[in-house]
Order: sequence, then structure tokens, then C-alpha cells
Amino acid sequence: MKYTQQLSRLSRLSRTPQVAFALFLGFLLTLSTGLSLANDADLTGSSRGISLEIFSQLSPIEINTIHSWEVVLTDEDGAVSGATLDIVGGMPEHNHGMPTQPQITEELAPGRYLLEGVRFHMPGLWRLTASISTEKTRGRPPTVIVIDFTL
Amino acid sequence: MTRSSLGKIGLGIGSIAALAALAWNYLVLPTSTQWTDEEQRLIASLSLSQLPRLPADPSNAQADNPDAAELGHVLYFDTRLSSAGAVACASCHKPERMFTDGLKLAVGAGIGNRHTPSLVGLSYSPWFYWDGRKDSQWAQALAPLEAKHEHAMTRSDLARLILSDADYSARYRSAFGALPSVDIPAGASPLGDDTERAKWEGLPETEQQAINEIFTNIGKALAAYQRKIQPGRAPFDDYADRLSRDDSSLVAQGDELAADELQGLRLFIGKAMCVTCHNGPLFTNHEFHNTGVLANPGELPSMARYDGVRLARLDPFNCLGEFSDAESAQCTELRFARDTNDLVGANKTPTLRNVDLTAPYMHGGQIADLAAVIRHYNEAPTSMLSHNEAKPLGLRPPELRALEAFMHTLTAPLATDSRWLEAP
Repeated sequence: MKYTQQLSRLSRLSRTPQVAFALFLGFLLTLSTGLSLANDADLTGSSRGISLEIFSQLSPIEINTIHSWEVVLTDEDGAVSGATLDIVGGMPEHNHGMPTQPQITEELAPGRYLLEGVRFHMPGLWRLTASISTEKTRGRPPTVIVIDFTL
Repeated sequence: MTRSSLGKIGLGIGSIAALAALAWNYLVLPTSTQWTDEEQRLIASLSLSQLPRLPADPSNAQADNPDAAELGHVLYFDTRLSSAGAVACASCHKPERMFTDGLKLAVGAGIGNRHTPSLVGLSYSPWFYWDGRKDSQWAQALAPLEAKHEHAMTRSDLARLILSDADYSARYRSAFGALPSVDIPAGASPLGDDTERAKWEGLPETEQQAINEIFTNIGKALAAYQRKIQPGRAPFDDYADRLSRDDSSLVAQGDELAADELQGLRLFIGKAMCVTCHNGPLFTNHEFHNTGVLANPGELPSMARYDGVRLARLDPFNCLGEFSDAESAQCTELRFARDTNDLVGANKTPTLRNVDLTAPYMHGGQIADLAAVIRHYNEAPTSMLSHNEAKPLGLRPPELRALEAFMHTLTAPLATDSRWLEAP
């Protein structure tokens, strides 16, 4: 959710000084823990302690245009670097996949991966399945994060 | 029971059956007078107003060079680009027929095995040919020139034509710079018959290179011209834009679309599921689908896109090849193209803009008219090869007619300056 949208929601809630004060304290606390209120990831998901955020270079994501994503992986210790990441997409209602085979081609910064070759070709429900192997999970089955979204 | 009372019962049953048959075939059931939010979103997404600017083609540095388009315009209509002097690009992709030919199968120097597709808005597609075996419009334009059933020209004769014709030479220099100065023999081609191939193989590499350079630029000029061929606003677009402008959910709006056309639109984006593939402002996802269209009699069913993507990867004129102007990083479609088994028998989704002017239909021209195409999707027959992605729709005859009526609302004159639609 955009920062400004959150602020406007906050202002609507600020009916009483107590609520406003509590929200203000919460706001400070959020800032102090380093979490961003201005998180504008296009898609997010998590599983078994790993969080995945997708920042599309085409935002909002549209059908029929090939583009790249930046995929950010974090766990309790911060950025997850050196991970093996495989992302496939499909339409569960139509039993078919994406028109392309996207691949991670680069780790742009620690925990920030470039996924090239993303294209969707139909409106409707899409399901992404990310399989992630990290240094910590080597030798174990990959962590699987499933994200559903509608185009 | 008496014979007369039995007769009355029979008459009653007969009457009910007849009424049921009439209702099945003709009764139009009332539908909602409002669009849902999702329907409104889909309708807006199909409007030509949503068509983005034509994307650049990084593999063709002259794609938007006006001089290249002018050269391409002359080449497009020139029958000298064929061995018998009788076939031009415009012979099959006729401007007056929305760049199709009205034939089941294309006829050039011989009869082909594919139906001539429209070129309208095709420059938006990342893939070309029914099976997507070419990844750029310029690489596509090269293949018919040397195909024996189309132009049946040789590569060296094409280069000789540019070098020997003063007008072509001047236009070529304006668009692409210096012409290679080499003496090129007639009748040599790496794709020709034994004699033509032997001649090609006997040429020094510098000459082969010079011929390939001119040949490539002929394709790039033809592509620059074809980028001008774009669809115009149709009644559907006026309706869709009115809905968006007024932010209205009311189905009955203005006089752009009649009641049956609106019902067809509702089916198109809903129960008939046409919009799953025929989506976006060009009514195509530029992708490949197996929809159970039988091969023409006497022909083996084609592997279609399954082979097409492999051929595109092997094509010396592809985005990653030496004749391309792109950096390899820019060739995303080719580098990340899918090649999986579900592409067996999958052919390209064509645009539906001006579809009522481009009969017959399908990759082999198998289906004669729109009503039969819609019946095909309603039945979704089993595919000869691999599986039909479409499922039977269970539409009644009035619904099939409504869908056909909607197709006619996508017809409009092209948004292309009329001078490009005739020979220069």
C-alpha cells in the first residue's frame, strides 16, 4: 500500500486524540524497526521464514508485454544472497503455463535478483510458484512460495 | 385409451417439442442491464485507445526510418521481386482486403500450405508466421522472397536488382548508407535448388556477405513499411470509450452497438471465453494455441509452434544473429521463449480487427466463414495432435449469432495514410 494512502487512512481514523496518539506511537515504532511503510512491491509472499517481494519493472503488470522483475529475498537475518531461485507461472483455471520461460540472470545486489523474460498473455487468475534454495537450506527440499494474483 | 386421445397427447408432446426447439434456436433470454466492474475493465482493455505506441524493434535499426519505409513501400508492390516477374508482397497481402487474399491457401509461384494472414497491426507481435518461426518482421519478410511457392527469387538476384536499378540504389543509400560494390552473379542462393546452392557455395565469402547485407536490408525496409499498417477505430472502440469516459455500468449506451452486438460482447468477454486469447486492443495475445483445427485433407497435422520456436532459434536472421542490430540483452522474447510439449499443434492467435473482411479463417484456411468459426469453438472438437485447449461452450444458436454480430463491430478503415495502401 502506498505511503500516502496509509496516511489518509490514518487521518480518517484520527477521531480522538487518544487514537491519534496511539497511532503516532505505532508509526514511530514502525520507523524505528526499519520496516518501510512505503513498501510498493507489486507482489509478495512468504514461507518457512523466507519472504519474497517482487518489484516489476512494468508496473502495474500488464498482459502481452515482456518485461523484467526484481525479486527480493529476505529472512530473519536480512537479505538472502546466493540463493537458487526458480519461478514458474501458470493459470490454474486453464491448466497451462506462461508463454515464456523466465530466468534469474543476475543478483543485482545482495538478496536482489533480476528475473528476465516475464510475460503474461491472458487476463484472469495467475499462480506463481517460486522454489528457493539458500545456503541455509542446502540439502533440504527447496522452500516453495505460492503467490496468486489476478490480471 | 382411445386412439383420438392418444393422438391428442402426441400432438401435445409434438407441440411442446416444437416450441422447445424454436426457443432453443431463437429465444433471446434477457441479460443484465449493467456491466460488472470486471466486465467494464475487460471492455476498456480492448479499446484501441489502450493501444500503446508501436514498440521499437531493436533488431532493425531502420525500423522507423522514413527513407526505409519509402524503400519498403516500393519493394512491397514490385513484382520484379519474383522469378517470373508476377508476384509481389501485395499479390497475397492485398491492401484492399485488409492485407489478405481471400483464398484458402496462398498462391504465389505455386500453391502454399498456409492461409495468408493479415498484416494489420502485426508489427506489435513478437513472433511471425502461424508457427512463430521468425522473431522479427524483417526476418519474416525475407523468407517468402526465396520460397519456391511464393516469390521463388534467389538471394543474389534480389541484390542484383537493388544494384542495377538506379532508383532502388538511390533509395537504398538514403536508408542504409553505402551499397557494397561487388559484381554479383545471377541465380545464387543458399536455400535454392542444387544449381543455385552450388553457385552460392562457389562465391567468395566477401560476396556472400555483400549479398546477405543487401538481402537483410530489403527485409528491414519491408518491415519499416509494414509498421505503417495499423487498424483504425471501429464502432466497438467508440462504445468502450464512452463507457470509460462516463464511468458508466449501464449496458445500453449511445447508438454505437445494437442489442445483439452488446449481447455478443457480453459472451465474448464471458461465457464464450474468446477474450482469454483474443485480448488487448488488437484482440490477440500474439501467442500460440492448439484449438483443434484439423489439418487440410491430405496433409499431416503440423507440429506448429513446437517446431516454430526451434526454427526461430536456428534462424541466422534472428535477433541474436549477425544480421540483427540488437544487443543480445534486447532479444528477450527469443532468449526466454517457451518450447514445451503443450506447444505441439499450437498456431498463432490472429487479430480480430476487421475479421469479417478476412475470410476464410485458420492457419490452413480450413473454415470458410465466421459463423462456422464460432460453431467450431462452441463444439471444441478433439485435436488430431496433442490436445485442444478450448472446451465446448454449450452456446445456443441465438448466442452464436450474437457473437458473430459483435465481430462486425470491429470493422473500420485502417489508420494508415491512404498513400501507403497503393503502389507508389
